[in-house]
Amino acid sequence: MLSLAVGSVLVCAIIAIWVSSTRLLIRVLATQGLALGIVALVLGMHERDLSLAATAVVVLALKGVFMPLMLSKVGSRSLNNLGLKPLVNIPASLAASAVLIVLAFGSSRVITSFVDTPIGSLAPVGVATLLIGFFVLVARRRPVFQMAGLMLVDNGIDLVAFLCSAGVPFLIELGVSLDVLLAVVVLMVLAQRLATEFGDLDVGDLRELHD
Amino acid sequence: MKINLLALTSILGMAGAIAGAITTQKLRKWLSSLFGIATCVSGLVAAIEVLHSNHPMIFQSNKILVLSGYSLQLDRFGALFVASGAVVGIASMIFRLGYSGHGLASRTASFVLPLFVMTLLLVPAATNVTTFLFLWEIMAIASLLLVLVDHRKRPEVSNAGQWYGVMTHLGAASILIGFVLLAIYAKSQSFASMEATAHHLPSWVRTSSFFLLLIGFGSKAGLVPLHVWLPKAHPEAPGPVSALMSAAMVNLGLYGVVRVGLGILGGGPTWWWLTVMALGALSAMFGSLHSATSTDLKRLLAYSTTDNIGLMFLGVGAAGLFQSTGHQSLALIALVAALLHMAFHALFKGSLFLSASSLQQATGSRDLDSLGGLLSKMPVTGTIFLIGSLSIAALPPLCGFVSEWLLLQSMLHGLPSSNPSLAIAMPVGVGVLALTGGLTALTFVKAVGIGILGQARSKPANDAHEVRPTMWVGAGLLSAMCFLFGVAPFLVIPSVINSSKELIGTNVANPLVGGWQVGLLGNQGAIEPGLLAFLIVVFVAIIGGLRKLIQAPSVRRAEAWGCGRETQTSRMEYTATSFGEPVVRVFEDVLSPSHNLDASQLSESRYYVEAAHFHTSLDDAFERRLYRQAAAGLRWWGSNARRLPNGSIHRYLMFGMVALVVVLVALG
Repeated sequence: MLSLAVGSVLVCAIIAIWVSSTRLLIRVLATQGLALGIVALVLGMHERDLSLAATAVVVLALKGVFMPLMLSKVGSRSLNNLGLKPLVNIPASLAASAVLIVLAFGSSRVITSFVDTPIGSLAPVGVATLLIGFFVLVARRRPVFQMAGLMLVDNGIDLVAFLCSAGVPFLIELGVSLDVLLAVVVLMVLAQRLATEFGDLDVGDLRELHD
Repeated sequence: MKINLLALTSILGMAGAIAGAITTQKLRKWLSSLFGIATCVSGLVAAIEVLHSNHPMIFQSNKILVLSGYSLQLDRFGALFVASGAVVGIASMIFRLGYSGHGLASRTASFVLPLFVMTLLLVPAATNVTTFLFLWEIMAIASLLLVLVDHRKRPEVSNAGQWYGVMTHLGAASILIGFVLLAIYAKSQSFASMEATAHHLPSWVRTSSFFLLLIGFGSKAGLVPLHVWLPKAHPEAPGPVSALMSAAMVNLGLYGVVRVGLGILGGGPTWWWLTVMALGALSAMFGSLHSATSTDLKRLLAYSTTDNIGLMFLGVGAAGLFQSTGHQSLALIALVAALLHMAFHALFKGSLFLSASSLQQATGSRDLDSLGGLLSKMPVTGTIFLIGSLSIAALPPLCGFVSEWLLLQSMLHGLPSSNPSLAIAMPVGVGVLALTGGLTALTFVKAVGIGILGQARSKPANDAHEVRPTMWVGAGLLSAMCFLFGVAPFLVIPSVINSSKELIGTNVANPLVGGWQVGLLGNQGAIEPGLLAFLIVVFVAIIGGLRKLIQAPSVRRAEAWGCGRETQTSRMEYTATSFGEPVVRVFEDVLSPSHNLDASQLSESRYYVEAAHFHTSLDDAFERRLYRQAAAGLRWWGSNARRLPNGSIHRYLMFGMVALVVVLVALG
């Protein structure tokens, strides 16, 4: 069950690279949030840790339901820029994500050497998710995808935290999640403003603001 | 209950800062100065108490600096620096009461000045790295702010501030790395445990930390080639601040090198000290050369600070060299001479800077070529300047003579040595001392002869009036001490000997002649400055009396050497530029003067010149060859690097990702 959930987090990340429709992307993110919540829940039950279970509930609610809902709001409004090509096309992105996954597994010895539990050995999956999230941030132009990238990064960090230390303290998890939530809200507002101002939304066009 | 004076000093300094920050304009000048004086008095009493007892004074609090604790411990060696800093501080604060410096009345300056004075007194008492760097950085930032108080009025000030800011931060970084290296191996950041483990360190650690700290402290002391900020920042600072910086702050650079090199590391190999001596000799020659050719009064004094710091480092280097070759007694003498020169330099340089600021305030100029005739217009300030000049030129019976005499003696007695490095270094040191002494005499003949004697060269100089009493009391206090210690050096020498002994941990018998005499035991070279002073007074009286007796009573007044001229005007006088010209010619390769002649010809014929304007200037060879090149390189690098961030968010995000991947790969 745990391995399945962890695996689906990574699969979701790969699918997030693949898709080009906003609606699909948001579904993928919701699924990933749910999978992450399940990881936390399973771990909580395994360790009989109440606060971890509570964290799991928060993660499920925030990442599985609330944030995708908000993203879909932005997404539905900015459907007009569907034709915007990503900076790196999809086959190349998939190849890059394969490289990133290998890199993550190759270089995560630092993290796995601290925790020698079998659960800890799954941690590279989180690092891989993080790197893929970063890649989405770098390679995609539409603001919705950028927010999705940010959430992927956050999910990756969360996954590493859950797997390595059997969950972070509830308070920290709450803080981090609220932080990401705030960032997503701010980005959302900015994106909507830009959309109403310029009609078109290419993050690359912000370069013109440079002096 | 007995009050801890170190705590009291800290509290008074901070109280002064707060009082300066929150009160009205009239009140804050007085309050911050008076608190400054109180801080110095408290520091001075603490220092004297320590110098006359065998126990260090300790103050510790874990509430001020978390993790390390605010830890002060004043031993005799530190007390020497505290005492001399406190004396300069008292004089400068008294001077400030009368000084109508433009920017120094501001709220920021009133807040910062007491803090600066306080840190000058507390740095030599710090006993762990955090406390030391904490106080050191407050001192650096406070002095930087004080240099910058006039930056709105004169663009040179902000330029000087930039140089000073960059140099002091580079220096602080170097000090930090040096101390961190020592602290890693000592597994503690207290100086005592560093000292305990210093002998077991690998030699590369000892050497690299010594040189890092030498660079850091040397830049604060103004040692060539790290001196470039000093002749810019010291002249641009307001009067009392320039006195504090030039007479007290530079000493802390010396303090650091001696504390680390001879104290914490307990001496080192011969080549360390040969390097220190070489740097000192270079500074002494370079500084004296530039001060001999400078026509700006305060710049001249600033370069002479580099010169004197060079002499102190020469002495410290000699002390280390003697110690590393096993001559304990000579090492002690050289160290005593260097420390004595430090204390006396504080006195005369303080009085010179303060009286030069008085001259500047009265005439509105620091250019020697527009001063002149000030001794008759401002007799008290002029006399103070004269005494300071005689003292720095090492003439008896003033204090400068005592310390330079001892320095010379210590190096002369290193001459008959079988050790080759001593046999080479000491004659060179003696030569440098002689050359510097000559150039310094020339410099101050120029400063006095052109600056305050002769006729006024400009209208402001002609209209100058004596400054307010508080100003000359401040400066006069220091020159009175110059005379006192010059005549009766036995008032300070025993304390200096004791603190030097404590620092280098020797128990050799006192190698100096005591009492009214200055010199080495068992040598013919001892001199009695008090007797000299008495003889000078007697001779002057006899000659004056004889002249009165012999001269014909009828007095006829005429222009001497008038050669038929009606009057002598100031345009006929020697100028400071022409006075320095021979030195410039001799040392043209080092000074590389730039001449600029603008002549405009008549349109009818090129052979008739309508007007000509000649401008000559000297700039610092190190600044031109070393620093300007380095700055140009950095600018080139920076302008190329600016192309990298082009405003694309994707590119910025990619930087983050690449950094992350690199870190992962490097760690994994």
